[in-house]
Amino acid sequence: MGTLAYENRIELAQGTENNGLAGMVAALILQNLNDKPQKRDDFAKLRGRVAIVAEDARVAMTLDFAGNMLTLHDGIVGVPDVTVRANSDDIIQLSLVELTQRFALPNLRGEAMKQVMHKSHTGQIRVFGALANLAMVLRLTRLLSVN
Amino acid sequence: MEHAFPSQPWAKAYEAAINGNPSYVTAGKDWTHGAVAMVVKADLSIDIAQDMAVVVDVNAGHCRAATYMPAEEARKTAPFVIEGPYDNWKKLIVENLDPIKTLMQGKLKLTKGHLPTIIRYVESSKQLLASAQNVATRFLR
Repeated sequence: MGTLAYENRIELAQGTENNGLAGMVAALILQNLNDKPQKRDDFAKLRGRVAIVAEDARVAMTLDFAGNMLTLHDGIVGVPDVTVRANSDDIIQLSLVELTQRFALPNLRGEAMKQVMHKSHTGQIRVFGALANLAMVLRLTRLLSVN
Repeated sequence: MEHAFPSQPWAKAYEAAINGNPSYVTAGKDWTHGAVAMVVKADLSIDIAQDMAVVVDVNAGHCRAATYMPAEEARKTAPFVIEGPYDNWKKLIVENLDPIKTLMQGKLKLTKGHLPTIIRYVESSKQLLASAQNVATRFLR
């Protein structure tokens, strides 16, 4: 990777000024990249679009990953590879998912992960396109996790 | 007795309300990351001539002090700063809205502070704001 700071690799597109979700996700990713160097490889390898919809807050955003660069858009832009739909609390829950020490995989025994699995079963958290984009979802989970 | 929001008497009553909220005592017991400033943006129509803040110095489930001060000072001293217009704070307090949802909607903004830390203590943040519901409040409009 080049020497460009992560602050300059994450861009909020025009129109996101009032989209708090986009601002929060951008801040979360930036702070994770600065705090946890082990997440940088995932950021470098992520390519494609992910839409996140906070249904109760009626806010949607799109992350457009382009290998070490990220643009966040207001609303759903283009055709997302993966779409996450959940309430705001559950979106936060996704970022609390515990990771295993080895390989940094989601820890199925973790409390937050158990809740995410339960809510996925009951339809409170819906992830569209996950099966076709497993590697992407895994990298995204690691990137967004505060753990 | 009702206190005008925001003001020093309101901040003092808020301090008591936080310490009297058993759910906050439990949810906030691990919070040792410093004070949180709630900044109300200047609004001349209600005589708030400059951005003002209520800074809650919370630690380990206890509020050591809540102080009303100019936001400029609060932004320098508090490690976490949340800002928004008066009406959005009023709505949050009156309707006990979910602070995370309010942040996602862009009605309030975290302008300073480590977001991953806030995320780890979501329940603590909720209880902190829920405590404001127990303050007898007179809103300026």
